[in-house]
Amino acid sequence: MAFIKLNDLEIEVEDGTNIVEAARQNGIEVPHYCYHPGLTRPANCRMCLIETYGTPPGAPPGTIAPDRQLATGCTTTVRTAPPERKYEEKFDAIIRTDSPRVVKAREDILEFLLVHHPLDCPVCDQAGECDLQDFSHRHGRDKSRYVEVKNVPPKKDLGPDVLLYSTRCIVCTRCVRFCQEVSGTGELGLINRGSHDEIDIPRSHEGNPIQVLDNKLAGNVVDICPVGALISKDFLFKSRPWFMDKEDSICTGCSVGCNITVEYKEDGVYRVKPRFHEDINQHWMCDDGRLGYHYVNRDDRLQLPLKKVDDEQTTTQWADAINTIKEKLGEVEAEDIVVIGSAQGTNEDNYVLQQFAHDVLNTTQLGLFGQLPGEEHKYPQFTIESDKNPNTAGARTILGSANGNVVLEGEDLWQKVASAKVVYLVSGVPDRKLQDEEKAALENVEFLIVQDVLPSEITELADVVLPGTTFAEKDGTFTNSTGWVQRIRKTVDPPGEAQVDWQITQQLAKQLGSEINYSFAGEISIAISENVQGYEEATHQNIGDAGVKLA
Amino acid sequence: MSDEIIQLETPFQFNEENMKKVDELIGRYPIKEAAMLPTLHLAQKQAGYISPAVMKHVADLLEVTVMKVKDVVTFYPMFFEEPVGEYVIRVCQTLPCALRDCKVVLDHLKEKLGIDVASETNLAKGTTEDGKYTLMKVECLASCDVAPVIMINDDLHKNLTPEKVDEILNNL
Repeated sequence: MAFIKLNDLEIEVEDGTNIVEAARQNGIEVPHYCYHPGLTRPANCRMCLIETYGTPPGAPPGTIAPDRQLATGCTTTVRTAPPERKYEEKFDAIIRTDSPRVVKAREDILEFLLVHHPLDCPVCDQAGECDLQDFSHRHGRDKSRYVEVKNVPPKKDLGPDVLLYSTRCIVCTRCVRFCQEVSGTGELGLINRGSHDEIDIPRSHEGNPIQVLDNKLAGNVVDICPVGALISKDFLFKSRPWFMDKEDSICTGCSVGCNITVEYKEDGVYRVKPRFHEDINQHWMCDDGRLGYHYVNRDDRLQLPLKKVDDEQTTTQWADAINTIKEKLGEVEAEDIVVIGSAQGTNEDNYVLQQFAHDVLNTTQLGLFGQLPGEEHKYPQFTIESDKNPNTAGARTILGSANGNVVLEGEDLWQKVASAKVVYLVSGVPDRKLQDEEKAALENVEFLIVQDVLPSEITELADVVLPGTTFAEKDGTFTNSTGWVQRIRKTVDPPGEAQVDWQITQQLAKQLGSEINYSFAGEISIAISENVQGYEEATHQNIGDAGVKLA
Repeated sequence: MSDEIIQLETPFQFNEENMKKVDELIGRYPIKEAAMLPTLHLAQKQAGYISPAVMKHVADLLEVTVMKVKDVVTFYPMFFEEPVGEYVIRVCQTLPCALRDCKVVLDHLKEKLGIDVASETNLAKGTTEDGKYTLMKVECLASCDVAPVIMINDDLHKNLTPEKVDEILNNL
């Protein structure tokens, strides 16, 4: 640990920390644009200038004065100095981020950065979460002395989801470095020279693209853009950032379990952004996950229970639907019932389902259902996994946690389903196409109960459909492929009369005389940590914001 | 995307002789990318200008992305992205030449060839219709003692007057 004096603070930081991070850890803001903790540091924006102190050459030992030149905070790192090199006998470095020279330098740099920047904040998507806006406000000059004509480069279409408003660009090159280092695809670069520098994809002289920004991580360049230059087409003109509420959650696109922030209003989810997690997704997420939230907002979401009467599904009351199921379950033997959990559901959903199957129905025949495996994509610093469910690992363990439970998957499951009389299928899997074998098996079932979020091939076959909820509408935990148990949180309300999946299961259980009675997801989480082998560490407190890794 | 990705209909290939030179150039440096500038000069000599097909071929040879090549091509004004004339005439505009009446030389050339001066983004307006001449303004050609000067392709012409310019053009 290095002991440094930062402004008037005397603080300890890890060896090798740069000044921007050291200051951030101690609540001091060092404005910066080109520096991003997940990328290399070219130090080209010059915004993070700081003043370092040392002994000037020729001065008597012990003299401490500011160094002649200001240094960039992002590339200046601190480390423990040998005893004879310490300042004032204890400091490894003395740094100021608020001296008059630094303040003046920041003002001047900002004036330069704003030379060609238009004053279009009122129509810019980034306004409100824009570093240029914030730092100009906090560190900038209130007037520009530039009177010449501004450069007005055109707006450019870079790829399926990314637009570039070149006028707003301050050429920090974060996006260029992202495409070289993290995605390794290198579609972006700088064209022209000097003050005419522009970010672009390779184009012919006439402006037709030779290559487009269409890699699966492309959306991240929009997040890391410190200004409003790179804009997501999906979010363009949708909402002002300050009107949206934010909640931490986990992406359901694949089993990586990227940490995300869901931004939403009363009428639905507006966008999903990645959130930093050192061991899972760092700063990034893929576009499949980023744009995969749309099904939450769809108008055709299941809102009321459906019941098949004379081969036609009609809406009905919850009480009626549950009664129908209760009667049917009373008629059949335990071994003719198959209960299928969902890899899209939370650990809590699956735990209650497992209790219902084991304790109430006395069946040990459980199954696991989820999205079909997709393609795996590997990038230099990011992998998109082929398992397209967020909770396969968790659902598998938890469904099989009670004595004698068998969790069937794939062909075994469908063989079992084909011979069953009653199947309770908790799906919640959006846009899942049924394969022939699966469809045949489900058609064979005498009485099919489906709990789902969207009308699909599966709900068409059902005798009773129960409207469930998506990840955005409930609390719970997911276990990713590397054993991290992480929390998702409720954002919007479920549509219509749809209910949280474990609550539906609990209602069924109660109707059948069980005493299962949880009142919130955290309570089930505690039960899981007490009863499921391997989940001892995954207590409510331990999971917290960062999640917990199972042994 | 509103624009379609362009299909490179006529792919560019170095001819045998140039390919040998490229191999030799690449061999000179510890990393292939370092041979970018000489390779591009060679390509421009063969193809006349750096088309998307040329960029693609050079990128493949040097194992870099197309964008890296485009980056370099747009940075240096001596690489052309559009067809240029057989003779590229560069007229020096810097102070010593300006004091020695380079404007007279430039105006004379404009009038004689019947073209405007090419800009970096629009070479076509400075190129004669028969594709023989391209007229450009440039900064210092490092021969201030013999100003005004022009450079035609790789040759420097000194101490110019309109009469001398006529003579030079006639001898091309």
